[in-house]
Amino acid sequence: MSDKLSPSTKGRKILPVGHYRGLGVWNVAFLFFLYMPIAVLIFYSFNANRMVMLWGGFSFKWYIKAFNNTAIQDAVINSLIVAFFATVLSTAIATVGALVLARGGNFRGKTMSLGLITLPLMVPEIVTAVAMLIFFAAIGLNWGLGNVIIAHVTFCIPFAFMPIRARLEGMDTTLEQASRDLYASEWETFRFITVPLLMPGIIAGAMLAFVISMDDFIITLMVSGAGSTTLPVYIYSMIRRGLSPEINAVSTLLLLFSITIVTAYWVVSKKTQTKTVH
Amino acid sequence: MAATAINILEVSKVYNPGSHQALKALDSVSLAIHDNEFFTLLGPSGCGKTTLLRLIAGFEQVTGGEILLFEQGIENLEPSQRPVNTVFQHYALFPHMTVAQNVAFGLERLKKPKDEIVNTVNRVLALVKLTELADRRPNQMSGGQQQRVALARALAPSPKVLLLDEPLSALDLKLRQAMREELKQLQRETGITFVFVTHDQAEALAMSDRIAVMSNGEIQQIGSPTDIYEHPVNRFVADFIGDTNFIDAEIISIKDDLVSCRIGENTVFEAEDSGNHRVGDRVTLFLRPEKITLVADAQMVNGESHRGSVTNIVYLGNQALLTVDLGSGIELTAQSRPREDGNLPFAMGDSLFVEFSKRALRVLAE
Amino acid sequence: MSSWLPTNPSSRRWLGLAPTYLVIGIFMLFPMIIMGTYSFMEANPYGGVKPVFSTAAYIQLAWEYDLDNTLIFNPGYLKIIWRSIELSVMATVICLIFGFPVAYYITLQPENRRNFYIYLITIPFWTNLLIRTFAWIIILGRNGVIELPLLSLGIIEKSLGMMYSDGAIAIGLTYSYLPLMVLPIYASLEKLDFRLLEAASDLYASRLAIMTKIVIPLSKPGIIAGCILVFIPCLGAFIAPNLLGGGKKLMLGSLVQFQFASARNWPFGSALSMLMLAVVVIVLILYARGAKKSTAGEKATES
Repeated sequence: MSDKLSPSTKGRKILPVGHYRGLGVWNVAFLFFLYMPIAVLIFYSFNANRMVMLWGGFSFKWYIKAFNNTAIQDAVINSLIVAFFATVLSTAIATVGALVLARGGNFRGKTMSLGLITLPLMVPEIVTAVAMLIFFAAIGLNWGLGNVIIAHVTFCIPFAFMPIRARLEGMDTTLEQASRDLYASEWETFRFITVPLLMPGIIAGAMLAFVISMDDFIITLMVSGAGSTTLPVYIYSMIRRGLSPEINAVSTLLLLFSITIVTAYWVVSKKTQTKTVH
Repeated sequence: MAATAINILEVSKVYNPGSHQALKALDSVSLAIHDNEFFTLLGPSGCGKTTLLRLIAGFEQVTGGEILLFEQGIENLEPSQRPVNTVFQHYALFPHMTVAQNVAFGLERLKKPKDEIVNTVNRVLALVKLTELADRRPNQMSGGQQQRVALARALAPSPKVLLLDEPLSALDLKLRQAMREELKQLQRETGITFVFVTHDQAEALAMSDRIAVMSNGEIQQIGSPTDIYEHPVNRFVADFIGDTNFIDAEIISIKDDLVSCRIGENTVFEAEDSGNHRVGDRVTLFLRPEKITLVADAQMVNGESHRGSVTNIVYLGNQALLTVDLGSGIELTAQSRPREDGNLPFAMGDSLFVEFSKRALRVLAE
Repeated sequence: MSSWLPTNPSSRRWLGLAPTYLVIGIFMLFPMIIMGTYSFMEANPYGGVKPVFSTAAYIQLAWEYDLDNTLIFNPGYLKIIWRSIELSVMATVICLIFGFPVAYYITLQPENRRNFYIYLITIPFWTNLLIRTFAWIIILGRNGVIELPLLSLGIIEKSLGMMYSDGAIAIGLTYSYLPLMVLPIYASLEKLDFRLLEAASDLYASRLAIMTKIVIPLSKPGIIAGCILVFIPCLGAFIAPNLLGGGKKLMLGSLVQFQFASARNWPFGSALSMLMLAVVVIVLILYARGAKKSTAGEKATES
């Protein structure tokens, strides 16, 4: 055993058990890989040269062009309308569903219900897109933007569901017991105790649903008809027509919009986590 | 002369040095642990005993001082290079391996030959009486069984030193007492140096060859259980180990190792002094309750005998602790055994005599 | 207010779940059933289907009719399916190798830093995939971000032709789903008791052995979840092959979309979708069985 006593790291600081050299560098490389394309995208949106890849100086002109592009304006409005309705409806549906699944105890069909509500997450998007396209065609439903809204509500439900359910499971039920103990009815308990405490979860779920809806591409592509183009679908058509910094400009705006909402979601979740629900 | 297994030389450990959250866990601690002994680090939580153990194991690095293992420096050695094994407080058993695989783990890492591993695992499992459970997973076992697996796992590679970090603290009382016996037995049989960490003084007294009492990152006293119990050097050690009566006094005369002390206004006690005190010194006397005899009438001739009255009784089943007020602000706690019929010989308010020999009353060295 | 709500807890439950069942049932499950029936119908050249039973769509997967109307083997679509599987596996493996150390690194960080890293990693995931993949056109394309400096420095003479290749698609796929590999692995590692690592080191395990014998086996659930979460979307991916592969390098996703765009072969597109669904269902069943086995093993032992 004495040969084990020969030091291998002569004079070097010994890392605590479980630490490895180079992990930090790897992590930085990873983050670089993750953000480099985004940086490139934003960077070239300021390219005065029409040929995206050849830098021709700094310019805001593509942003101005994008803002004045009526097709883009229509697409943005469509996206916002769809996202709004999809968020409200999917969050409402997800909230009642979460209340049942998180508080309803173990009932027959709980697993099935859970599976159903998360079904859109498991199925590849293209399959969902195809199925919905076929469905609308088969029953002859042609509500334009309405079709898109219906599709969005459907796949946004699981995204709204998860934060709400997480919040419910972290909530202390003794608060509601205390409320009943103090003569509040079921409805009053729900209104004055459950809902306010649940609200951050609902808001978080709504934010997620909103972002998912704004960003959706493939399902919207297949389900939307003329006149109900959303922003991502329009961006796709721009790409097909040929590269131009205008695409970068529009993309950067959509990017920043999504990042803002996700950051807001993050801040809300972290704040409500530290404000512990005892 | 037993070889020195571990030499702790002026070891300090500071966490977050340089920041205002710096925590001094160990302050220039020195001690020597002999080979083949059962050595205990005893102290309240936060005293630094676990830190010292982790420094020996290699999970932390010293901020100052040096640790020698059989006269060799081990600073630059990772835990996996030190011939020292640890029994963790919460066992740290690998949940994805069976008992046998857990026990074999260290031997496999040391690249021991297959049949040697099998033999050792069987031998060690037999030693801790877990042979039938070899193929179970850790989460299928009780706390006591898990503890023995942790023990077997640490013993299998035949380490020179075994470190035990409060291994019995998660067990309930009866089991703990049974394990004390087993551990002591194990140490005697294997002859491995045990370094045992605990906050339970009864445990330390029962198992150890020597004890180091620690507090606030410093060593208060090192000695055999008897030394520590009978001759604590300061108030902390006297108080931490067993029950004690403390009396503040002033030395008024000295004769060899007996001193006369004045307590309060008028009372004079005689006590044994092993320290080098002088007349006029203010000292603390200590007296263990079990060395006091309570009698209805004065009997003792060549000792201390003082009249007092019972002010409090705490019933403990096999005995009762009586608080006796001797006047002059002196209160002593003593033990009293119930009679055959279960009643105590004394009741609240009773007048009785408190008796003890002069040498039972001692002066604290510090 | 509570008077119009049924008081029976069972009815309450189904009332709360009704909207979910309605929406997802009508607009997702039911459509998938229709899709299944469409896969067994004849194609209508003007789009849609002719309500005539036919297995032509499934036959088309591997065979075609030559001029004599005899069936001959056509590997074309099978090649596309195989490429989809290949690229998906490749992307999954790269994500695993690239992402595992990152998940591990985050676990080593103090609490507050961890949240920040998770935030950084999830942000790209919530932004539009089309846009993020588009950025790679600029990076990999002719005179793109990679080629331009190399060309102007004279290191290469002409375009590397990185775009419109399997490699470009693989990069696109990896990039799309990296966060989905990191997060489940992190969730697994977060529960890891680091004292186990200390125990292993105490028992003479080298740093490599600690990783292979302790960390990786104990993070297996997270690794498997991550692989599934990456593999399934990759299989049905549309954007990466479409943007980065050009019209030549098709994958299942772009092939399906094509059937509903110019090719107007709805049954065939439906058949391909059913095929994808079948793969997903098989993977999920295997996963559920595996998960049940390990929790059953643990439960039986909690005695």
